[in-house]
Amino acid sequence: MAAEPDPGERVVEPTSAEDDVLRVEHVRKRFGPTVALYDVSMHLGKGEVLGLLGDNGAGKSTLMKIICGFQKADRGQMFLNGEPYAPRNVDQARALGIDAVYQDLALVDELSVYHNMYLRREKTHAPLPFLSVGEMKRGTREALDQIGINMPRLEAPVARLSGGQRQAIAIARTVFSGADILLLDEPLAAMGAKEGSQIMELIQRLKEEGNVSMIIVAHNYIQVLEMCDRVNLIQAGSISLDKPSSETSVDELNQIVVEEYKRAGAEAAAEMAKSAPAAGDEGRTA
Amino acid sequence: MAEETGNQAPPKDAQQGPARSSSRALASGAFGIAKRFLTLREGSVIVITALTFLYFSVNTPEFFTNSNFKSLLPYFAPIAILGAGEVLLMINGEIDLSIGAVYLFAPFLFYEFTNGGLPLVPSLILAMLACMLVGAINGFFTAVVGIASFITTLGMLLGLEGLTLIISHAQPVTAPGTTAGGEMDTFAKIFGGGIYSELIWALAIVVVLQVLLVRTRWGIYSIAVGSNRLGAAEAGIKVRWVIIRNFILCSLCAGLVGVMEATRTTSVQPDPSGANSILFDGISAAVIGGTLLLGGSGTVVGALIGALFLGILQDGLIIQGVNADYLSFYQGLAIIVAMTANVYVGRVRKGAAVGG
Repeated sequence: MAAEPDPGERVVEPTSAEDDVLRVEHVRKRFGPTVALYDVSMHLGKGEVLGLLGDNGAGKSTLMKIICGFQKADRGQMFLNGEPYAPRNVDQARALGIDAVYQDLALVDELSVYHNMYLRREKTHAPLPFLSVGEMKRGTREALDQIGINMPRLEAPVARLSGGQRQAIAIARTVFSGADILLLDEPLAAMGAKEGSQIMELIQRLKEEGNVSMIIVAHNYIQVLEMCDRVNLIQAGSISLDKPSSETSVDELNQIVVEEYKRAGAEAAAEMAKSAPAAGDEGRTA
Repeated sequence: MAEETGNQAPPKDAQQGPARSSSRALASGAFGIAKRFLTLREGSVIVITALTFLYFSVNTPEFFTNSNFKSLLPYFAPIAILGAGEVLLMINGEIDLSIGAVYLFAPFLFYEFTNGGLPLVPSLILAMLACMLVGAINGFFTAVVGIASFITTLGMLLGLEGLTLIISHAQPVTAPGTTAGGEMDTFAKIFGGGIYSELIWALAIVVVLQVLLVRTRWGIYSIAVGSNRLGAAEAGIKVRWVIIRNFILCSLCAGLVGVMEATRTTSVQPDPSGANSILFDGISAAVIGGTLLLGGSGTVVGALIGALFLGILQDGLIIQGVNADYLSFYQGLAIIVAMTANVYVGRVRKGAAVGG
């Protein structure tokens, strides 16, 4: 097995503040030989919107999935409102107020808009096990109206909807789930300009209300700097930059990424030259 | 538009106006109903079953009779129950090939329990629990160990048929609760012996499972797991448990049918070939009824109608006096023709759904 990546000086020491709702300390995660997260420490303040940037495969989604309880970290600790936090599963994380929009949206094509909206949080005619369709439809309508997304037929299977509409449903169900910490993994990826701006408005509104804290994974630096109070850059499984949005710029972020590409290119070239026969042996793909 | 101007016309035409408008409304209403009907998942199989029914009614005078209706029942009620159980599993994207083996195994187990001195009802309950255990084992190897359900249940099929031959010593037995030729008691009447007993069970099970499918978390999660397994897990659904419980349900249905068919025929033959043919019938009913083999979509009511189609076909062909050697051949042909028609009507259905 090839050597593990050495993040060197690029690792940013964990910072913390008095009002942290979530702290992640030295989290590590590997999938077989692949180190997805080398050593990640980060924190999230109350009411704060944190932007998480990084190259494809840098470990952003893995970090999100660990925080929301879908995957378990190999090492490291997390704290929620100062208490140790180690969710056993998604349900438990949700019960503690953490909910995520996944990059793949986790929608069920064959199910209707309202079924998807309430997936795993179904309303039933308690104590009977039958779904309360009317209640779920009303709730769905209210949530979509609040975002300003037009969805004529709530009974339609989501397979028939556009990419933007699907994303809106995934976002609406998380935002209106009552969670205090929202993890949004590329919430604007499939959105057109109109829907995208509606989601950005929604995030702005939530930020002003100050009740929820958010971590947003995104690729578009302009949008990130506009939406977020602070940005973290994740490179090769570690946080390499932690700055308030006001102290960084699109130029600086671009510069870092350009350097990353240069270094990666040089490394790849060196590796090729050194060990042409053993080309398949890669220590990390992260 | 024309109707509205009709209302403003002089009294002479007024009489004609509403009549014309109502007939037109009726026509458009009928079209709307037809369109809505075809958007039903079960729409196409209903049309095809009705056509098959019509064909035999016209061509065979003995078909559309009360006595034939009674002889039709055993062809389709057991298959409807097997198909109904299989539907939920197929929606999961899994398949259970061992339903025929469970169908064969259950009555022998039931017989062994009663033979050992247990009363009928506890014996039946124990036999059904054993069937559920078979389902749980299928589910465990599929969902937890990760063997494809086709292979898991193929192994179970062979193993269970072998076990049945072992415990029965390959000898037929008299079904418990039935004394051949004697008067039937209440137990036998309820569990398959009564003329309408299987039909009532089939209808009740189909209704319960259809409600389970569309109106409870069980069903919604089954669809979610079959349609997007990773997404379902990300949403927090316990994917493995959803699959295991559908395997348990499917085996329970198969075991129940096994006992009822044994009670109806008053004897149990340890005949694996019969068990395999009922397996094919059960899966055919589900597929003909509109359930996808790929998972994510299906209907329990469709399986009932699919079973009805298979029943009408078999019964109709026999009544028509088709040579026994030709029976399977015609059945195979008819199933392919029906499925082709099903696919085409299904396309119309999808088109109508998009248009509406």
